[in-house]
Amino acid sequence: MKPAAYKGFTDPELVAMCLQGDSRAWEALIRRYRRFIFSIPIKFGFSHTDSSDVFQAICLKLLEHLQDMKDDRKVSTWLATTTTRHCLAIKTLSQRESGAEEEIDEPEDPTGTLEDIQLLAERHQLLRESVENLPSRCRSMIEMLYLDETTPSYEEIADRLGMPVPSVGPIRARCLERLRLILRKRGIKK
Amino acid sequence: MRHLTVENIITYMDGQGSDVEKSTLETHLAGCKECSELKQEFQTLMFQLREDSSFEPPAEVVEWGVNLFQPVMKPEKGGIRKIVASLIFDTFDQPLLAGVRRVGAPPRQLLFRAGDVDVDVKIESMEANDRITLVGQVLSSATKFFDNTPVKLESHGIVRYRTRTNVVGEFSFDEVPKDTYHLSVDLPEGQITLFCVHRGNS
Repeated sequence: MKPAAYKGFTDPELVAMCLQGDSRAWEALIRRYRRFIFSIPIKFGFSHTDSSDVFQAICLKLLEHLQDMKDDRKVSTWLATTTTRHCLAIKTLSQRESGAEEEIDEPEDPTGTLEDIQLLAERHQLLRESVENLPSRCRSMIEMLYLDETTPSYEEIADRLGMPVPSVGPIRARCLERLRLILRKRGIKK
Repeated sequence: MRHLTVENIITYMDGQGSDVEKSTLETHLAGCKECSELKQEFQTLMFQLREDSSFEPPAEVVEWGVNLFQPVMKPEKGGIRKIVASLIFDTFDQPLLAGVRRVGAPPRQLLFRAGDVDVDVKIESMEANDRITLVGQVLSSATKFFDNTPVKLESHGIVRYRTRTNVVGEFSFDEVPKDTYHLSVDLPEGQITLFCVHRGNS
């Protein structure tokens, strides 16, 4: 099965396929949650390097605990809890090694409590999944406009999608509206 | 009242349009709660989309995670039942006791469970070289010892090392290269596979 075909499987389906030895199902799971996992240490104030270490550690833990996921347990919930705990453990260790006396139970980042960080990570994941559910042209446009580091111009977008440049603006508006309505349906307004 | 179109709102948010058009839109937004709230929704949506792109991990890190998974070897002819064990305990998951400072790289202790069989594994690094030693024991809750039971270490889909347990179910793999391994124990009930037995990060 081609990698793109795995996008349509639910988490429990992917987990079951992983346990059968399907490495592409594992790849689909990692790619699905890569930003979700990475966002949590970033919100904790970790550097990109340290966040990468956390990402690797969580991938390892996920593989080790795959068997525990097969009973429809939500992968995102497990990832949020496990990644948060891992970040806290690293912070605690770092505090102890630097001689600080107090235990920390909250991240240094004052923009959110632990629950806020987890909720934000889950909201972002829902946003990503909603983008995935857009029709392919809309999905491509949204990804190029907002998720592509190279920030392609309207001309480049028009060229890649095979449309006249003046059409990009109106189509973008329609795609954003579509995305907004998908999110509303999923209960995410703000 | 005629409301703004989505395209109007987004064009305005982009700062496009003539001064007259912008002024007209601003006047409308100031007086129309519905359009103003819609504009706010789009602002939040675009902010979240852009913020999400900042959470993209480095490609090589993602590839590392993807490559972590090694396809489980196909069962040998005769259809051996494969059981994937669950990780129950990992010393690397435990917080340090207060006042304890780490000296050197501590061994890692893992406990896996599959049904009523436990597999205890200790992994130690050989500091002088890039090798690890794995020492373990296969135990049953029925206080049964698994004597002379085949144990294998696989990596990248290939069996690298084989051994057998002693009379009390103990086994060891001495000074094997540091890698991420699958450890398999061949019991009469089936083959128990432990994913990802490795030295890990201390």
